[in-house]
Amino acid sequence: MSDENTFDAIVVGSGITGGWAAKELTEKGLKTLVLEAGRNIAPEEDYVEHVPEWEMKFRGMGDRQKLAEEQPIQSTCYACDEWSSKFFIKDKEHPYSNDPGKPFRWIRGRQVGGRSITWGRQSYRWSDLDFEANLREGIATDWPIRYADIAPWYDYVEEFAGISGEALGLPQLPDSKFLPPMELNCTERFVRSELAKHFEGERVLTIGRAAILTQEHLGRAACHYCGPCERGCITRSYFSSLNATLPAAEKTGRMTLRPYSAAHSVIFDRATRKAAGVRVIDTQTKAALEFRAKVVFLCASTLESARILLNSATPEFPNGLANSSGELGHNLMDHITAGGATALIPGNEDKLELGRRPNGIYMPRFRNVKSKHKDFVRGYGFQGGAHREGWNRGIVQTGFGADFKKALSRPGPWHFLFGGFGECLPNHNNYVELDKEKVDAWGIPTLRIHCAWGENELALRKDMATSAAEMLEAVGGKDVVPFQRQDPPGFAIHEMGTVRMGRDPKTSVLNTFNQAHDVKNLFVTDGAAMVSSSCVNPSLTYMALTARACDYAVRQMKKGDL
Amino acid sequence: MHRREVLRLLATGSLLQLAPAKLLAVLRETRGLLESQTSPRTLNAHQYATAKAMAELILPRTDTPGATEIGVVDFIDLILTEWYDQADRARFLAGLTDLDSRTHARFGSDFLDCSSTQQADTLTELGEKMRDETKGSGPRLPGRRAARPTSFYAMFRHLTLTAYYTSEAGSTEELHFEMIPGQYQGCAAEPTNDAPEPK
Repeated sequence: MSDENTFDAIVVGSGITGGWAAKELTEKGLKTLVLEAGRNIAPEEDYVEHVPEWEMKFRGMGDRQKLAEEQPIQSTCYACDEWSSKFFIKDKEHPYSNDPGKPFRWIRGRQVGGRSITWGRQSYRWSDLDFEANLREGIATDWPIRYADIAPWYDYVEEFAGISGEALGLPQLPDSKFLPPMELNCTERFVRSELAKHFEGERVLTIGRAAILTQEHLGRAACHYCGPCERGCITRSYFSSLNATLPAAEKTGRMTLRPYSAAHSVIFDRATRKAAGVRVIDTQTKAALEFRAKVVFLCASTLESARILLNSATPEFPNGLANSSGELGHNLMDHITAGGATALIPGNEDKLELGRRPNGIYMPRFRNVKSKHKDFVRGYGFQGGAHREGWNRGIVQTGFGADFKKALSRPGPWHFLFGGFGECLPNHNNYVELDKEKVDAWGIPTLRIHCAWGENELALRKDMATSAAEMLEAVGGKDVVPFQRQDPPGFAIHEMGTVRMGRDPKTSVLNTFNQAHDVKNLFVTDGAAMVSSSCVNPSLTYMALTARACDYAVRQMKKGDL
Repeated sequence: MHRREVLRLLATGSLLQLAPAKLLAVLRETRGLLESQTSPRTLNAHQYATAKAMAELILPRTDTPGATEIGVVDFIDLILTEWYDQADRARFLAGLTDLDSRTHARFGSDFLDCSSTQQADTLTELGEKMRDETKGSGPRLPGRRAARPTSFYAMFRHLTLTAYYTSEAGSTEELHFEMIPGQYQGCAAEPTNDAPEPK
């Protein structure tokens, strides 16, 4: 093996966790290879957040026929639009299958930066309400960590990433180290104070906690409120690996970033029972390559990391590498969404928003916090917010002419949305397996996904609609409309599980430091490691777990224990 | 200023101090405009003229440009040609034919040859029909891409309003859109507005 293919560490993936692993490992002195399956991204060329609608051929409606042909699954995601569809994969190149009648919507981005370019930026700490839940209810297996174990790592990643938000002191949603919060608008302030009156402080409305800078931070500029973050951010005001962690890793001079490198499998050394490196398919030449390292971090995204391990079977591990527990690929979760309500909120007709705030409201979980709900365990939080309706309200109106046009030039009534994000229980029967018959464009076996919502998730969705409507009625909303859509799993793009952590090697794949029980120089630090799903957005927790695992790995390497 | 220089300045945030209108002008220089539309590809001359008259009736020239000036019908033709599927295209074109049938039945001539009062009456009639068709069609669901309407008049309004308000004039002159607001105020005072909300 030539020197140029040998590194101290290999990180598979350059998204939100791969970026963190790259930064931490290189800053701790390791010569690190970052493998990215997709192309390189040059922000000054690829970011398109300041391209106005009138410069787009279809004025933002997207190239419908092309999207239907090339990205039928991806284009169901709101962010895969006429500007940003280039940050999503071409479905034809990346097939997968699911059971008839049990769709799973897998939204993917393959490029340097991964999905951190298009993510929603909502950033919340998990609490012991989450970390203790499995143990308390006897579901799946216990988390091997508690809030106290991860709290310092939340501090650490927040100080670098920059999280804006409002401190509330709630036990179920611990405060971050916040930059100043973004503003709630008039109607959100009104709804917040009305809810405080009607629900005795149980239902708290706050501004979303977001990885978007409200002031200059570590050389990155404050947000200028142009709006569509998912198209990029030339001022690097929101956190992504491309905007923040990869440049930090690059600065060390120890990172080699290799785009167009699809990880095929982890190389297992039978003699040492350790990972020897990673097999890669060069997606441009289709050549098979091998890279060697002392430690391997899988940060390829929940389902891709599982897929790589399943495709790394050896005689010792016939059902996938590091899979002596049999749990590899199992316990797939996603947040259940698509339950909530909308309404018009009278008042404040003489007030409007200036600027496009790339963030909404958040209502922390209030179910099963103080009292027990009869229909379900766990709970959900609400996201959404208030905005004055825009010109498109005129489509279904019947008016026309000068007066109609004049009226539409001003914003319409305040419209409020509550949309729930609910916890999904880990379930062994929601799992992925390798489909060797069906390969992707580079000959790598694909995934067959078996996943469906359970009764608890559907009960949460139902209650989201009920409680959201109840709140909007209570605050005097008009035209209150509860909704429940039948969105399949995957659509929250919060897929978690499949390579879970745990205390017991018999029931989990990874230990408390995201280290494979069976292969001690192999780490998985993306969403695959999650043992339960909480109801809050998971990315901040992935970041903290990654930084913590890197710290542990390097300490072990220095001791000679890896 | 060269594009690369603009991007460098943007990355440092210093360009954001510029007045928004000036900044927008600078940014515009950095992007190539799309090729302008040529002759219609799906609409024939009569259909084109009919759609143009209808769009101008909905969004006429006032102290700001109207539908004709910003080329609404060219956008409609683009959508008919490259965006709609066969069924949508057929429904839309049938709607234009039906429009003439209506005006023939009521006023004895094509929509185009009707007086402006007769044309307005016809739009009012289409509006009432649309309202009846969409009654109880469900909640306004969240999401930037609103569900696509399926009745001719709703389709027509969808395309007309989209073309108009996403045009440069529609965005900047009519809606006072600023690409880079530079701030967020959640409770700013609404400038005086004497127009009542339409029904």
